[in-house]
Amino acid sequence: MKIEAIQLDKAVLLRVNGRMDAESAHEFEEACQHWMSQGARHLIAELDGLQYISSMGLRSFLAVAQKMKAASGSLVLCGLTGLPRQVFEMTRLIGVLSVYDSASEAIAGLP
Amino acid sequence: MSRRYERLTLPARIESLSALREFALAGADRAGLSSAERDKLDLVLEELIVNITRYAYQPGEGDVELAYAIDGPGALAIRITDKGRFFNPLTAPEPDLTEELDRRGVGGLGVFLAKRLAGPIRYRRDRGRNTLCFRLP
Repeated sequence: MKIEAIQLDKAVLLRVNGRMDAESAHEFEEACQHWMSQGARHLIAELDGLQYISSMGLRSFLAVAQKMKAASGSLVLCGLTGLPRQVFEMTRLIGVLSVYDSASEAIAGLP
Repeated sequence: MSRRYERLTLPARIESLSALREFALAGADRAGLSSAERDKLDLVLEELIVNITRYAYQPGEGDVELAYAIDGPGALAIRITDKGRFFNPLTAPEPDLTEELDRRGVGGLGVFLAKRLAGPIRYRRDRGRNTLCFRLP
């Protein structure tokens, strides 16, 4: 998995590429933790390049979203396609998490 | 008709996942699975094997055997065996998918996904072994 971070005015955009599985999901949580400790209130995960996600990856998204919410911030997802999108739909995490089609919509939706 | 299985046995650890995955996906390619079924296989394998590494054994002990057989054109039969304690992941309670973010638990999603994607999965306990079998598509 490769994560590229871009600092925006109100949020940090994390571009996630590759596989988010049992071996790599912790890297996403660590990246989010890093930006939280730098004071980021809102994180946007751009997932166009996410090829694969397992339940371990879903756990990471839930854990980060719960932490961000508890700190009066948010984790927002965008760009989900293919089997990763189906996995979010099957587990009904779309609806529990904020999910947008594109990064520009996610940015426009920030408080 | 008995199937001819190819097998790979490795320590039941997360670090074994990528080699087990490559082994099974090579089988999927030989069987001519569609790319959608191949992706499902990838995910179902991870979920079932992670469960074995966590619950069938104490950390760091024991092996897992992955076996596959080509089961007609474009189809693959998969068998996963361990010698850990009696453990049937298929009887785990279904996760509650209706909770709000604050209350949403993270457990149980893996087996839930495996069941949804693989169709019928069969579990058997025999001579000290746990065996899970399924077929794609």
